[in-house]
Amino acid sequence: MNRRNFIKNVGTTSVAVATLPSVIDGFTVKALAGGDAMGRLLEDSDRVFVIIQLTGGNDGLNTVIPADNDIYYNNRPKLAIAKNKALPLTDTLRLHPSLSGFKKLYDEGQLAIVQGVTYPNPDRSHFRGTDIWLTATDASVFGSTGWVGRYLDILAPSFPTELPEHPLAVQVGGTQSLGFAGSKGSMGITFRDPDEFARLVSTGGGIEEVPAADLGDTKAAAEVEFVRNVARSADVYAKVVKTAADAAPTSTVTYPNSDIAAKLRVVAQLIAGGLQSKVFLVSWENSSFDTHANQVVGSDPLTGAHANLLSDLGGAVEAFMADMKNSGNAGRVAGMTFSEFGRRVAENGSLGTDHGTAAPLFVFGENVLGSVIGADPDLETLDNRGDLLMNYDFRDIYASVLLQWFAQPSTVVNNILYHDFSKTAVPLFKGASTVLEGAAAGSTIQFRSVSPNPASDVVTVRVHMNLIADATVVVHSMHGKKMLSAEVNPVSGVAQFNVSGLSTGNYILGLYSGGAVTHSLLSVQR
Amino acid sequence: MDLSVRQTPLSMADAFHLLRRLTFAPTWQQAAQLKGLMPEAALDLVMNLDPPLEQPPWAQQPISADRNEVVRLWGELQSWWISHCLRHPSFREKLVAMWHNHFTSDYVTVYYAQLMVTQSNHLRLNRYDFRALSEGIVGDPAMLLYLNGDQSVKGNPNENFGREWFELFSLGVGNYTEHDIIDAARAFTGWRVNGLESLYNRQLADLGEKTILGQTGNWEYKDVIRITLEQDACASFIATKILRAFVEHNPDEATVEGVAQLIRSNNYNLQPVLRTLFISNGFYDVSIRGALIKDPMSFAIGLANITGISRVSNTVISGAMSALMQTPFYPPTVQGWVGHHKWITSNTFPLRQRFAESLLDGRLAGTSSVLKDENGQPVKPDLVSLVKLFPDANDAAQVVKNLALLLLPVQTTPEQEAVLLDIMMAGAPAYSWDIESGTAENRIKLLMQTIVRMPEFQLN
Repeated sequence: MNRRNFIKNVGTTSVAVATLPSVIDGFTVKALAGGDAMGRLLEDSDRVFVIIQLTGGNDGLNTVIPADNDIYYNNRPKLAIAKNKALPLTDTLRLHPSLSGFKKLYDEGQLAIVQGVTYPNPDRSHFRGTDIWLTATDASVFGSTGWVGRYLDILAPSFPTELPEHPLAVQVGGTQSLGFAGSKGSMGITFRDPDEFARLVSTGGGIEEVPAADLGDTKAAAEVEFVRNVARSADVYAKVVKTAADAAPTSTVTYPNSDIAAKLRVVAQLIAGGLQSKVFLVSWENSSFDTHANQVVGSDPLTGAHANLLSDLGGAVEAFMADMKNSGNAGRVAGMTFSEFGRRVAENGSLGTDHGTAAPLFVFGENVLGSVIGADPDLETLDNRGDLLMNYDFRDIYASVLLQWFAQPSTVVNNILYHDFSKTAVPLFKGASTVLEGAAAGSTIQFRSVSPNPASDVVTVRVHMNLIADATVVVHSMHGKKMLSAEVNPVSGVAQFNVSGLSTGNYILGLYSGGAVTHSLLSVQR
Repeated sequence: MDLSVRQTPLSMADAFHLLRRLTFAPTWQQAAQLKGLMPEAALDLVMNLDPPLEQPPWAQQPISADRNEVVRLWGELQSWWISHCLRHPSFREKLVAMWHNHFTSDYVTVYYAQLMVTQSNHLRLNRYDFRALSEGIVGDPAMLLYLNGDQSVKGNPNENFGREWFELFSLGVGNYTEHDIIDAARAFTGWRVNGLESLYNRQLADLGEKTILGQTGNWEYKDVIRITLEQDACASFIATKILRAFVEHNPDEATVEGVAQLIRSNNYNLQPVLRTLFISNGFYDVSIRGALIKDPMSFAIGLANITGISRVSNTVISGAMSALMQTPFYPPTVQGWVGHHKWITSNTFPLRQRFAESLLDGRLAGTSSVLKDENGQPVKPDLVSLVKLFPDANDAAQVVKNLALLLLPVQTTPEQEAVLLDIMMAGAPAYSWDIESGTAENRIKLLMQTIVRMPEFQLN
């Protein structure tokens, strides 16, 4: 039985797909924390992450709308979305009406909205901003490798001498993203259409027809090497991609008619057909979200360029996730959106908004902790340009993805992100077991049940621990604030606490033991 | 980079280098004409080429409310410029292409192709004068629409143009502050586009006191240009742009500074700067041969010219450029095309191979459709005639060497030449090569197809 079948089979029981390979196999934290077993496990993990780039700087405030905040309406007399037109999320927040696709995912618990994401000293340049997000560096650092590329470097230590059987990263459309750049060249390939890609490569002679010349220490030598490596990836992977595309069952999902939907359809097809790439990237290839002017149509803020973009986005992701569900892959696929910056709180005089800073970021998938994370935008406390302050560093989110989705140990995550961002990772994925530095040997932890859920007063949490060890359950607000905690009885594996003092809403449960932590979600209702 | 004047005459390889970097037509005939000339004389021949550019009749046509008509003109716009560059490849147009990638706009955003012609003409007319380019671009109708200058109002300005002016057009990130953007955006108000014309109305402009890059006054837009060009960073930024377009992608600091000094001392008149650069020892140095990657325009137009089929329909070239991610007059962002490594992807590399090998066979990339000229007549390169331009067309080994010299910016090794010779001879002994033989055309084609498939062919 190969690994994928194994995961699919146990996936019929509730938690298994939602958890990491470590937990499925009952591997201990010790085994995970180091050594070859971990390496093999991670290489076999078939989790996929899809990145959607909203090029141009998405207007966060008109995407996730602070519908009870007068300051929002005062600053945007022509652009603001009326509360009664927007789609309700929480008591205070609403979604742009064009995002019905996201609203559906949110209601199904498959969409996390992280509020106020940017980084210290945010850059308002499209191109610096984009590079900072892709390279995951401090604003002052000009990096040459991408955060995805640095992660994939680990999975393919002999790249490019030996290429992995399947491309580790795939970009559908566009020029090769800096995000995929590893220390030894791009870890990804890019193409628009699998059939065209295969035809282009298969109809010509390979690059080995004529031997490479030693061009010595010239600039041309480096360029030939660069072209040769791209060409080799194309030669090797065109067939693999085509095989996957052909193996995919015909999709029965109707995708909306948009460029981004067409790209996500290709991603879905390749995943369903068995392409084992870890990361996919799709993007708007022009600065479409750069809505300096005519963001809305003058008379009606519900229509216009931004409404169309959000409609394309929500519709495409909704169709993509439905497609993933149909092909039985929804459990192993998650994704996120990002944009180089949000836009200014105040509208400008041309029915638009200028470059700003923090904005919400969406994470979607069946195994995402569906929720709104982080405080609502504080429109009273702005920076000296009238822009929003930071709530989360985008690298907190990357850390969450690497720790919780790709099960990388915190030391590795910190190396990839250059700083200790694993400490500030946000709980984003269900049942993800994060291995922290210095995890105790031999401990495995997992939520077994949280009941009742939703709860109004006493909650009983049963946990699985393979060793008798100290463990604590902590209830965090969605903003990360610690609300209360309870010790787990080491013998019975049960913890109890009372939430009657908490206001209604969603909370994150953290289970901490021996340096490891895993997360679940608790809803309080009355 | 050594900017001292090169004192030796051009070899064929030198001539090809000059033509590859400065034109869209590194042909054998052109190179043969330059061979043996001193760098200055060779440069005169290349730079003084000023072929007349016919203005399209529709450029004066009033803007239309009919979307079909608007979109039709987008195609006409591409045809207008690409067919000119194809038929009359000149340094002038190569420089216009550089400025189109600097002070960039796209026809989808600007909408009216007429205004893109106006912008292109502005870039052409002022191609050697960065100050005039800058002053003119502020009120250029296409730019006003592209970066929303026409909608920027006193009291609540739109900062799109103001920010990109500093970041992408003059100084580069890190050389200005957010405050400079705020006040520059104020100074850039007052413009409106009306039909095909733009208008500066001082009544609508913010004439109040502003501080731009440390200088305070009641500045208007020309003051912003003046103050910006006084900054050392401006000349360095433009020097980098020029070096990236014509010399190498990552010039070192000293090289940038050397060219920037020339720009400053010539007060942003770029003609003497470019002359100095293009006759220098550094420009001809072997270390930078092949250091650039061909942009799709140079790649496609260049090959059509090299193979003698510049009469091919301009839509073949525009189509290839679009497929290779350089749709004429439609850059992806205000940054223009980033170029260099961005040109080569797992998709565009094989596409370049298919385009090039098909063109040599008189076919459209990867299809069996034959290439046609603008009148619908088939077009196919005459490769025997091409090889007969060489001095030793009957010497198989020399044919291989000369074709490599023609097509590749780096020197081939004896080992590579031996493989290429085998491919051309297909098992027959080299002495049996006969340019007059009925099979010669096909043998040359197979050899050239092999060469254009090589990674080295992508270099410039």
